[in-house]
Amino acid sequence: MPRFNALGFGFLAPAMIVVTLFFLAPVILTVFFAFTNMSTSTGITGGEYLLTQSDLRGLKSSELSDSTYETLENSGYLIDEAGLARLAETRDQATADELARLHAGAQFDSRRDMERALKDLRDNRIRSTRDRKALAELFKTSVMDDRFQTRDEFVTALSAAGVPDADQKILVKEAYTGWVWTTENMKLLFSLDSSWRYAMNTLFYVVLTLSFNVGFGLFLAISTFYLPPTIANTFRTIWFLPRILPPVLYVLMWYWLTWDTGIISSFMSLFGMAPRNWMLDTATNAWIVVILINGFVGASLGMILFSSAIKTIPASMLYASEVDGANRWQQIRYIILPQLRWPILFTSSYQTLSLLTSFEYILLATDGGPGGATEVWALAAYHTALNNYGGNLQYGLGAAYALVLVVIGIVTSFLYLRFFNFKDLVAKPRIEQ
Amino acid sequence: MQLRLNSFTKTFDNLTVIDELNLTVESGEMMALLGPSGCGKSTTLFTICGIHRMNGGTLHFGDRDVSNLPSQKRNVGVVFQNYALYPHMNIRENIAFPLRVQKLDNATITRKVGEIAELVHIPELLDRRPAQLSGGQQQRVALARALVRQPDVLLLDEPLANLDAKLRLEMRSEIRRIQLETGITAILVTHDQVEAMSMCDRIALMKDGKIIQLSEPDQMYNDPVDTFVAGFLGNPPISFLDATVADGQFRVGDSGIAISDALQPKVHGQVQLGIRPEYFGPQFGIGLTGKISFVETQGREDLYNVTLPNGSILRSIQPAGRRLKLGETVNWGIASDHALAFTPEGTRI
Repeated sequence: MPRFNALGFGFLAPAMIVVTLFFLAPVILTVFFAFTNMSTSTGITGGEYLLTQSDLRGLKSSELSDSTYETLENSGYLIDEAGLARLAETRDQATADELARLHAGAQFDSRRDMERALKDLRDNRIRSTRDRKALAELFKTSVMDDRFQTRDEFVTALSAAGVPDADQKILVKEAYTGWVWTTENMKLLFSLDSSWRYAMNTLFYVVLTLSFNVGFGLFLAISTFYLPPTIANTFRTIWFLPRILPPVLYVLMWYWLTWDTGIISSFMSLFGMAPRNWMLDTATNAWIVVILINGFVGASLGMILFSSAIKTIPASMLYASEVDGANRWQQIRYIILPQLRWPILFTSSYQTLSLLTSFEYILLATDGGPGGATEVWALAAYHTALNNYGGNLQYGLGAAYALVLVVIGIVTSFLYLRFFNFKDLVAKPRIEQ
Repeated sequence: MQLRLNSFTKTFDNLTVIDELNLTVESGEMMALLGPSGCGKSTTLFTICGIHRMNGGTLHFGDRDVSNLPSQKRNVGVVFQNYALYPHMNIRENIAFPLRVQKLDNATITRKVGEIAELVHIPELLDRRPAQLSGGQQQRVALARALVRQPDVLLLDEPLANLDAKLRLEMRSEIRRIQLETGITAILVTHDQVEAMSMCDRIALMKDGKIIQLSEPDQMYNDPVDTFVAGFLGNPPISFLDATVADGQFRVGDSGIAISDALQPKVHGQVQLGIRPEYFGPQFGIGLTGKISFVETQGREDLYNVTLPNGSILRSIQPAGRRLKLGETVNWGIASDHALAFTPEGTRI
């Protein structure tokens, strides 16, 4: 029975805090955002109640009753008893009486028409335009295009406009400009054609980049293993450069290589080929560049891992295979590769997860182009939530995209842990034998 | 198959490890390369199997010159100190590996693996993995893998070093049995003189990259060429005494030791006497007086160190029973026929 140890807990506390702040909190926030309709237009704080013509048109074919629709649609300014009473109170009875005489019962669609009616007064002239504007508002019967700070104010206004209680709820919902809880994001996500395209792009990208990573990493590790140490180290250092370069610089070098004024174009122009943007002119080229950019970075990590794993194979085992008659290829095939099984599996699973979620090199290189050909899931999440052409940043939908990745990541992590038999990996080594 | 090394030279960077070494191992013979650490015995073995390249000289297996062949083409079997079994293959696959890389058909491989497994007594282990075997069993597997493709030469690199004492005894006779049964030419590299003497037909005793003496085990024991060979063989080891030849005797301090007839005409002046523990004791009369300075009981025998008045130490091994005490004074004799005489520089007289 282990004792509870406050000191041990104290030592763990910083790690727990960091895990909570930098891992748990973002995940929880992602889940939270994914089930809201937050966007630039709703903001992330509360909202107001504003019923616009387009809101109303959107409700036309829904359960909103036709009479309510008519009321809201046509009512604008009505010169009725209540309005006249308000005018009398604000200005004076004489003005009210004159207006009643001229326009009692009249109805106007717009405020300009209402102001014109007020202009018609002769005995009680309202000279100031500002006053006319203010007084016109007294006859307003519609709730359209008006901002209400609270729900109660909006409901009161709806009642005043003669909207029956039955229809108020749907109008309140439609008119609210803040964010609300919703599962619409998920439904939308799985119904959009583009989602499936992003998913296919991601699959394509991960499978090809991973194959390149692992294959090229293995090739580098094995080929440098058979080189003299100094040459091997030089090669390894060169191949490690992509990983230690800042991503922006590294991608900039690819620009130099592939742009229409870049190295490839300059070189090909010697043979009379017209300059072109080798990175972005076709989807195939874009994919090749994206996979190479990520592949070289990943391969350098694979190379280091595989190289050190090869070095742990006892020299006598390699000697033994040689005196047993195995040539180089057979030595690689039967002795080295089988013993790299775990490093290869580990690198594959680790890189699968990081390739799924990281998009910085694609963002810097093609930004998903040309025409969305290299838009992968994580990049789509970023574009939707944080940076898109339309300018309406859909935080909620973007978070929903991200949530899918979070779920896939957690599920695969657990699968990997089971698959790798984590308990065995951390078990005490058997020194004997 | 006869193995011939001719003026074999090996250098690492600028350091010459082995200079002009000649060695012939006869067909079917088991030869020990014996020597202390760093004497070049493992280097010689690794050169014979082709892991190291020769810097000079030639190597022949029978009439075939293999000096410049890579190890894959030499047809040697090697048993490494740590056995070097392939951990990801089971025992059957381990043993079959040399055949599989030759792309033999499955029926032949199965038959040969079965035969060799019978020979080394492991047919029931074929489906296990190396990690599931004891050290002795791994040793047998390593032997089987080395022998399965019927190599011209079998090379054993300290094969018993990783085994416990009891297994070592067992495997010693097993390896010898298998070598005799297959009639293969074998080289055993070891630093353990007991292994070399008990398993091999001949011993090449090496020091600093040279073969000091090459002879059969009993001859090497009884007739060493110098103090190094005499001191390397024998457990407990031989003792050396500084003596002067005078009055037809070896004079050690105040005492005298008779000179054998064979030595009589050859010795004069200062000599080193080598006396093995079994040739010093009360059963050889009296002659040397000294104090017992160390007693070790080994069950069947007792080992005594006797310090002479001039400070020299003689060892004596005697049947257990007479329990002498530390510090007791004894006066024991020497079997003078078996005393070995060396010059002060260490060369045998």
